Amino acid sequence: MDYLYDGSFDGFLTCVHRHYYAKSPREKAEGIFVRDAYRGDLVRAAAFIETDAEKANAVNAAIAEKISGFDLERIYHVFCTETPEKEMKLLRYIRLGFRRGPGVGLLHGDPIVFEIQKAQRRLGTEVNRLCGLIRFSVVHSAREILYARIEPDNDVLEFLAPHFTDRFHSDPFIIHDLRRSKALISYGHEWYITELADEGLFERAADEDEIRALWRGYFDAMAIRERINPRCQRNMMPARYWKHLIEMRGE
Amino acid sequence: MESNLLDKLTILGESAKYDVSCSSSGANRAGMGRIGSAACAGICHSWTADGRCMSLLKVLQSNDCVYNCRYCVNRRTSDAKRATFEPHELADITMEFYRRNYIEGLFLSSAVRISPDHTAELMLKTLCLLREIHLFNGYIHTKVIPGVAPELLHAIGLYSDRLSVNVELPSSGSLSQLAPQKTPEHIFAPMRQITRTQFEQKTLRSAGNRDRFTATSASGWNAEAGDGFLEDLKREVAAEAGMRNLPALIDRRKHYKEKFAPAGQTTQMIIGASPETDRHIMKTSEALYRRFSMKRVYFSAYIPVVSDPALPPQFAPPNLKREHRLYQADWLLRFYGFTADEILTEDEPNLDYELDPKIIWALRHIEVFPLEVNTASFEELLRIPGVGSVSAKRIMQQRRIRAVRYEDLKKMGVVLKRARYFLTCVGKYYGEKELEPVYIRDRVLRESREAAARFSGLPTVADASEMANLPAPSVNADVPLLDANTIRASLSGTKNGAQISMFDALAPAEAGG
Ligand code: SF4
Repeated sequence: MDYLYDGSFDGFLTCVHRHYYAKSPREKAEGIFVRDAYRGDLVRAAAFIETDAEKANAVNAAIAEKISGFDLERIYHVFCTETPEKEMKLLRYIRLGFRRGPGVGLLHGDPIVFEIQKAQRRLGTEVNRLCGLIRFSVVHSAREILYARIEPDNDVLEFLAPHFTDRFHSDPFIIHDLRRSKALISYGHEWYITELADEGLFERAADEDEIRALWRGYFDAMAIRERINPRCQRNMMPARYWKHLIEMRGE
Repeated sequence: MESNLLDKLTILGESAKYDVSCSSSGANRAGMGRIGSAACAGICHSWTADGRCMSLLKVLQSNDCVYNCRYCVNRRTSDAKRATFEPHELADITMEFYRRNYIEGLFLSSAVRISPDHTAELMLKTLCLLREIHLFNGYIHTKVIPGVAPELLHAIGLYSDRLSVNVELPSSGSLSQLAPQKTPEHIFAPMRQITRTQFEQKTLRSAGNRDRFTATSASGWNAEAGDGFLEDLKREVAAEAGMRNLPALIDRRKHYKEKFAPAGQTTQMIIGASPETDRHIMKTSEALYRRFSMKRVYFSAYIPVVSDPALPPQFAPPNLKREHRLYQADWLLRFYGFTADEILTEDEPNLDYELDPKIIWALRHIEVFPLEVNTASFEELLRIPGVGSVSAKRIMQQRRIRAVRYEDLKKMGVVLKRARYFLTCVGKYYGEKELEPVYIRDRVLRESREAAARFSGLPTVADASEMANLPAPSVNADVPLLDANTIRASLSGTKNGAQISMFDALAPAEAGG
């Protein structure tokens, strides 16, 4: 049977709960999908699993206790990635974890574990990359704000929060994930994530274009002509990020 | 901002771009009530078209130089466009770039405008504005002008995370030929002051002295005068910024910053503009590491950007292979317990372009091998080509539990393609034939060529076709700035010209330490 859920982490954990307490093998999970994105095939039965905080907490606690806190975190990280069929991959990992206990993360040779490690690493790579590649603009709303737009592969906003909150602590800033229509909003040491639709929110500060021109001019001047190596540049800074990079003529 | 700012930034960025060190690592400082933090791992913000990581705004304060170093685009007699940043201009640009997350910090260097002290004062003012007025807490790496007054250097050090003084060239002979206004003493005095100040800082701190750090007289200058100087400067900067006094921050600073160059010092050497051998270069860097506790010695392949009858043709390709091999040798020096004398001998004073220095050493010392991975010491394991420090550690760990088998080695990160010729595992040797240097060399070379063919496009060392386009692998054939005879002449009176290092210019007491 296919489980459909609302896309939240608690919703996913509720699905895990349901899988474990299924009354018959037919009711076990064969696929887990976000309801809005589900395209059923009419052959398999599908059921919407209502998110239930209590059940989710129970699964949460069971993972932390019987597997490990480290694995709980890892499961959450992978849940935030765009890995295809991540829910089923995670379910398999959780089941393996309940059988093998805290050592599950070290079974590097197991394909189930390997997939999860790989997905987690992808998230880490993207977060690290974005710490460098996000470009802010100074914009005006009620006051001066630093505003950045991104279209990341994974759902990274909350993982960016600690780095940028530390960096800008007194300046308010917004990182806007256009793909997911949500934003990280931070002021002082506080931050939260909220839904935010695109476009036309802010007005650029007066000198913004001037600063951008300075940056572009500087960037171009820094290339050493004798050593030009676009392949290396592209490797380190994949083209899909260029859209929002001032120096690569984005924005 | 003024419209000519873009011109200034382009000119002064252009002039600074050949500086190699991009790392903003070494200082880990979470934000403390001001803007910025310096992350320990170093964050890359962008990559230039030649593929270098950009993390710092790398600029000169000025390129208007009164010196006349022969290898430099900014030397007095060149007709380069000149520009100088006012301290507030540069501080503003740094802040604006930093806020937008273009950069992680500032790498500030300068040509010698008017005099070393005049230049250092401009730089110090820039730093003071950044730290005291803009409350900038990002990373700052400052290049020290040779011959600067100790008081200025001390103040600059208190605002910087890392300092560097360029050693410029591998021998005092080349220095006096190519950079006549810079003397070894001008270069070594600041290096020495930095090392000592850091040493004193450490001992003071570890003695539980939480008071504000002041250099003692052992640094060879008057600490009180230096402090007074800094206070005057702060007052001046505050006045210019239209404040009666600096923000209350000054008080807060005392509690957490006020640390002299916490990320240490580095230096840089130009390779291929003068005729020193690789052995000579490695001996010089070894001495720099030992005597001044350098964090890094950077090598920079000479790029002929200046036209001069005595110089190599303009735009000749820089010898990147040599630079690469030198970095590998440097790695052996820093992390693998090799000495310069082991890496390069008097008979073979230059690095091999085809194979890395570690395997060359192993082939030269084939009598040491094969080593049994289950009994060799940690230091011995590190000497096996294809075994790095991580894999050596893993081998040591596993040995405590059970014997390491050949199949385990790959999982531990050992590069068997190379390592198998040099080790035994539980008594068994895994190379095809007996231990024979010429044969092994041949095999390893062939394999790395094949690998190169598979990754065609990426320049690899063993790529024979590319080798053809590069200067011949002998240093003297590299069209150095100076011919070897000039240098030898300037070094006459010593036994062996090639053996002289910059350090011979140090006082005897120094040379001993
Ligand atoms: S001091 Fe020498 S190397 Fe430095 S800018 Fe002046 S001429 Fe160039």
